[in-house]
Amino acid sequence: MVGSLKQARVAFVEAPIGRLVNLLVILAVLYVIFILATKILAQGPSYFLQILTYGVANGAIYALVALGYTMVYGIIELINFAHGDLFTLGGFISLFLLPIFGADASKAGTAGIILPLIAVFLVTMLICGAINVSIERVAYRPLRRAPRLAPLITAVGMSFVLEGLMFLWKGPFNLPYPNLLPTTGIAIGGATIGLKDIFVIALAAILMVVLALFVSRSTLGKAMRATAQDQDATELMGIDINRTIAATFFIGAVLAGAGGTIFGLYYNTLVFDLGFSAGLFAFTAAVFGGIGNIQGAALGGLLIGLITAMWDGYMESTWTQVIIFAILILVLVFRPTGLLGMRVPEK
Amino acid sequence: MQRRWYTAGAIIAGLAMVATACTGGTGGGGGTTKGEIIVASDQPTSGGDASDGIPAQNGIQFAVEQAGSIKGFKLTFKGWDDTVNGNHDPQKGAQNIQEMIADAKILGMVGPNNSNVARAMIPIANRASFVMISAANTNECLTQTFPYCEADTGTTPAKLRPNGVNNYFRIAAADTFQGPAAADYAVDTLKATKVAVWSDNETFGKGVADKFSTELQKKGGTVVVRQDFDTKTTNDWKPFLTDAKNKGAQAIYAGATSGTKICIPRAQMKGILDVPYMVPDGGVNAQCIKDAAESAANMYGTVAAADANQNPDAKATIDAFKARFTKKEDVGSYTFPAYDCAKILIDAIGRAIDANGGNLPSREQVRKAVSETKNFKGTTGTYTFDPNGDPTSPTMAIFQTKGSPLDWVFVKQFGVGG
Repeated sequence: MVGSLKQARVAFVEAPIGRLVNLLVILAVLYVIFILATKILAQGPSYFLQILTYGVANGAIYALVALGYTMVYGIIELINFAHGDLFTLGGFISLFLLPIFGADASKAGTAGIILPLIAVFLVTMLICGAINVSIERVAYRPLRRAPRLAPLITAVGMSFVLEGLMFLWKGPFNLPYPNLLPTTGIAIGGATIGLKDIFVIALAAILMVVLALFVSRSTLGKAMRATAQDQDATELMGIDINRTIAATFFIGAVLAGAGGTIFGLYYNTLVFDLGFSAGLFAFTAAVFGGIGNIQGAALGGLLIGLITAMWDGYMESTWTQVIIFAILILVLVFRPTGLLGMRVPEK
Repeated sequence: MQRRWYTAGAIIAGLAMVATACTGGTGGGGGTTKGEIIVASDQPTSGGDASDGIPAQNGIQFAVEQAGSIKGFKLTFKGWDDTVNGNHDPQKGAQNIQEMIADAKILGMVGPNNSNVARAMIPIANRASFVMISAANTNECLTQTFPYCEADTGTTPAKLRPNGVNNYFRIAAADTFQGPAAADYAVDTLKATKVAVWSDNETFGKGVADKFSTELQKKGGTVVVRQDFDTKTTNDWKPFLTDAKNKGAQAIYAGATSGTKICIPRAQMKGILDVPYMVPDGGVNAQCIKDAAESAANMYGTVAAADANQNPDAKATIDAFKARFTKKEDVGSYTFPAYDCAKILIDAIGRAIDANGGNLPSREQVRKAVSETKNFKGTTGTYTFDPNGDPTSPTMAIFQTKGSPLDWVFVKQFGVGG
């Protein structure tokens, strides 16, 4: 007994400091999980279900934006900082298009809103795609062979350009976005799953599945995967690299445009600098899941949405951002390539 | 959109005025031969808080235009904007006050709008004996020493005034009154004893939310949920609102400003819970009604100054103002308090000129004259400053959203402290 105590003391004193830190981290994590679990049990299942719904809906939007980051990074190793602002721009464009396609408040929540909304979505997505392809042509393609930092800085620059344009267009204020979706919901076990939540989750899921199928099945998708692996070899195979990369930017922007429109319809508010924080979290989501990995980005977005909602719903929201990034650090320490692994060009 | 054009108009008008001031200074007609004195202002006139900042700046500009000249000096107005990236910014405020101090024609300023901006500006102005009068700063630690000031705001009134002489005055009632006034109203009038409280975690927002909570508990009420959000990254208040609903909240209190999304959660309450939404003065404006969208009714707000519309003597001034600034959003709850601040400053400049034998007074003389302000009759009240720079008899007003189209409507006002 005395001997084992002595051994333990020696082991403790001689333990590398790193092991001690690990132990403290594990204890802290267990403590937080314990507190969260007690609160979840205390608040009951219907509340949990409600918060879960909000988290999934919020996460679905992050996921849509994260896909754009991850696709571009996967193919040319560029963190496209302008992507978050393109997401906001999608919201702004759709807000502008709503009255043009007759999607006004009088039709809110009725079947009459469906066709105009589909039209708004499609046109917004196309415009966003076209804008992103132009951005790539002007700001990134000329720098493709330049040192890594050059396109990174032009991406930061494009981000400010887009924010500035939106500021000039609509001013600095929160913009009201019409509440066009039905406000009713389905009651399940004391929680209300809003049709709005279902709409957001379903639409995001459909877009992501279509994207995944497109990348894995279509010829262009194959070209994208090839370009991501080895640009020179792909070019030797007779594939137009420029066209493939432009297509990647187009698809990423299409998803961001849809994401911006969904954000507007869901939260009914937009502001010109929304893209900064949304983009930051979406990028984090992409790293979370493994940058370059499409399924990973979707998973990362979902997780960030869930963590945010859970923390806001059960714990102190002052610490929400801290928790998100603490979890990110933990994940990266144990899995440096993200949850589902990185997919980036080979060197 | 309109607002943006208006802002552009204001900038152009401001530039034009500066241009005329430059040429007018030398020529000078009538009783304005002695030179030029500039009254400066610092407000958030372009960001999310512009819905408070522009109406306040209009009030200051109007007071200066109305006066035109003072004891042979031509009076002109010059406005600064403390917004960076859409939100009020203490560093920008500090830069602005340095620019003001660098211009010898500027003898004092009215502003700022936000307490954290004031905290950055006061020490710089203090070293130059440059007088500041604010209509809307309500953080109590700007003027009064409390044991928690150092911990909560990182500074104390004494540290803010390195040369030891007070240069900062305000006519707004401090947050020691605003949060409690809202809590009293919640319990006594709205009969809400269980309240969910959130704040934007800023000096003003968190401070007012804390004081609301303390008073609510003192009156036997309970804070059922309390959250502090980073509003830059928060889009979803529904978990908080659902929590509030589950815990039986009879009202929501928001400690924030328009720049920190004060009324966005109000819109998200639709379909979750339908209880009164209470805001401090940072939310009593047109932007809040826009942000609250379909849920804009049944909101209550406190304003840390009297409503000029309740003063029959102010009617002529209000009518003249409305003839000069015609848009609905040109006037806000701090337009006339800001107007009164500018009048107090102009009045003090006048007395300082007299004290200096009719010559251009020094900034110290102007500061001294402001501190000696006694029973100044303004549109929103009669003002005397105490040694801290606070008004001796501040007023608190309560507003509520009502009517069609919805607007903030005066409910009542009462003297606090004093």
